[in-house]
Amino acid sequence: METTDHTIWIERYRPARLADIVGQDEIVERLQSYVQHGSLPHLLFTGPAGVGKTTAAVALAREFFGESWQMNFRELNASDERGIDVVRNQIKEFARTSPLGGAEFKILFLDEADALTPDAQAALRRTMETYARTCRFILSCNYSSKIIDPIQSRCAIYRFRPLGPDAIRDGILQIATNEGLTVTDGAVEAIAYVAQGDMRRAINALQGAAMVSDQIDESRVYATTATARPDEILELLRLLVAGDFEAAEGALRALLFEHGIAPGELLGQCYRALIRLPMHRDLKVELIDHLGETDFRLSEGGTPELQMEALLARCVLSARRYAC
Amino acid sequence: MDWTERYRPRRLDEIVGNGPAVRQMVAWASGWEPGDRPLLVYGKPGTGKTSSALALAGDMGWEVVELNASDQRTRAAIERIAGQSAMTGSLFGGGRRLVLIDEADNLHGTADKGGARAIADLVQSARQPVLLIANDLYGVPAELRSRTEPVQFRALAARSIVPRLREICREEGLSCDEDTLRLVAESAGGDLRAAVTMLQAAAIGRSSLDGEAIATSQKDERATIFELVGAVLRDRPDRELMALAWEVDDRPDAIVAWLEEALSQLPQEARCDAYPALAAADLAIARTFRRQHYTLWRYATALAVLGTAAAAGGAGVRSRLSSPGRWRWMAQARRRRSARASLFRKLGAWMGVSRADLREYYLEAARRLAAIDPVPVARALDLDADELGLLLDDRELANGTVARLAKERREADRAEKPRRRPAKEREDGSAPPPPPETHPSQSTLF
Repeated sequence: METTDHTIWIERYRPARLADIVGQDEIVERLQSYVQHGSLPHLLFTGPAGVGKTTAAVALAREFFGESWQMNFRELNASDERGIDVVRNQIKEFARTSPLGGAEFKILFLDEADALTPDAQAALRRTMETYARTCRFILSCNYSSKIIDPIQSRCAIYRFRPLGPDAIRDGILQIATNEGLTVTDGAVEAIAYVAQGDMRRAINALQGAAMVSDQIDESRVYATTATARPDEILELLRLLVAGDFEAAEGALRALLFEHGIAPGELLGQCYRALIRLPMHRDLKVELIDHLGETDFRLSEGGTPELQMEALLARCVLSARRYAC
Repeated sequence: MDWTERYRPRRLDEIVGNGPAVRQMVAWASGWEPGDRPLLVYGKPGTGKTSSALALAGDMGWEVVELNASDQRTRAAIERIAGQSAMTGSLFGGGRRLVLIDEADNLHGTADKGGARAIADLVQSARQPVLLIANDLYGVPAELRSRTEPVQFRALAARSIVPRLREICREEGLSCDEDTLRLVAESAGGDLRAAVTMLQAAAIGRSSLDGEAIATSQKDERATIFELVGAVLRDRPDRELMALAWEVDDRPDAIVAWLEEALSQLPQEARCDAYPALAAADLAIARTFRRQHYTLWRYATALAVLGTAAAAGGAGVRSRLSSPGRWRWMAQARRRRSARASLFRKLGAWMGVSRADLREYYLEAARRLAAIDPVPVARALDLDADELGLLLDDRELANGTVARLAKERREADRAEKPRRRPAKEREDGSAPPPPPETHPSQSTLF
């Protein structure tokens, strides 16, 4: 293995051009059209993590400004500085000064804009309007409902969706070819399962597996990402619903101690599988409550092994009540 | 160029909709005299408040001085920027200046310390027309609200938005069928600016538009919360429910509130089954916020959605789904609190007693006095309908009294105007005449 390469793949393979962004075709088409016509409204990108919001903003600026893109583009993360002063000072300062290198306007990208306090958002809305000639704003957020209406009213809203398995597969196979990896179909599926629509997570999973060997199959993906296989999770849930505490305990220990899966990760996987599992709905709600309670206790610093055992016990007790 | 700017109306007759509000503004401006009440123009975003104010100034030939929330609005800053223009006449005598205070519902917060007070003072002593703009009437500090004349802008009907969009399409050489225009107008939710922004976002680089082209840049589809609640009551499969909950771009706390509201449609046994699940969801949300542990959110959504679905047992939607009552109560409570605080402030200042003493010893007396004849009390304290309503505990009587006083004031203004004219000669920097006595001493009333 000659992989002495220390670059982080999510950076190396972050699309530099709009055309390289996968899974958001309609949005990309619109943004390219803005570049071609040199015209840009204020934009609001909404959607979960790892679906291309930041990438799209940076690529858009690159293509808009060419050489001078770094002079005319600024990225601020609102979760670092969320008060009104950031709007009145930093943002306004950037927005009011003239664009450089013959550009018509600058672009300010405000990441996690939903972290701004309502006061700061109120101040932002007028800044957006006052300096619209010299500066366009791209805001990104997870939930647009946390952005005040007057700002939504001033932006074209683009909703980025979680990437489907196909988009993840395309992206992964492209990188695999580039890196000279052999990736089985099962491994690609495993990566899509681990990624949950988040391209960064998918690429990290691939890089993690590639560090061990350039032959990648599904078991390597599950092992290097410390993820349980979907069928192992289903088996654990089946045992719980059947009320078999000792067998469930065995399965749990194998996952925790042999596979080295973190309890928090295990809870997440159980949650996702449980949602899809057909069973009595009241029981399902009870089991979800047990999962949430355990997750909370872990975050409070409870001892993971003990709390996970107790989780099994509670689930078994609930299941037995519904069995009779 | 931004279409919302390019097509911003320059004259009042170009404003879309809101005829009564525009007429009220014209009447105010054309008869304006120093000492008149400032206007407080309020309403949802994108309904034409700022455009109307600017167009009004244009039509009147007035200059505009703006003061908005992206500037520091401390007392000093306000006095520096607006004080001068508001207190003195224009440099060359002739024209007036409209002092525009945008986002008047955003004056609180530490950054604007003293701002509300300064604006209230400015409003009191202005020698120039002052116009305030706000989204939320009750977000405007009561001391300001009571000194202004409110003008309400309402959300625009889709059918009044469509013709404007059609005009823009014609100007831009864009072909767009009626159905698509209606789609844009409807999904803008009464917000003309959102409609124009949406149209432009979809149109750049295209010469014709259809419904599909619009879909990508549509204003966010809040409507799906209705679909989610409907699906929960109709007993759709779990996966579908969770997928919908994910689609709805609202946080779990909003989903819980909507579901709780929907419980009113269910028989009491079902409601009893649902509440524990909603309460568990609520707890998970509280923990999410308190611990900043956002993974807990997913349990909240699942508990609320699946728990309610289990309890509803496919009961179906029986009557119209409505927005969470709790939010309406909260808005009402906020309004009451605001009215209560300003009533206490006014009563306290008038009687010269502390709030605690007021509540303990004086309130009942004031209430009994007001009940005998509310007019002098309302006049002396400059109470609005909310404040008087609280004092009298009689909403209808309060509304009637305040309406009567407003009429009285308008007539007085009209009668007083000719007499006030000569006072304008003295605009040489000397102190303006003291405002008419609005706070008679206690002895005149008690």
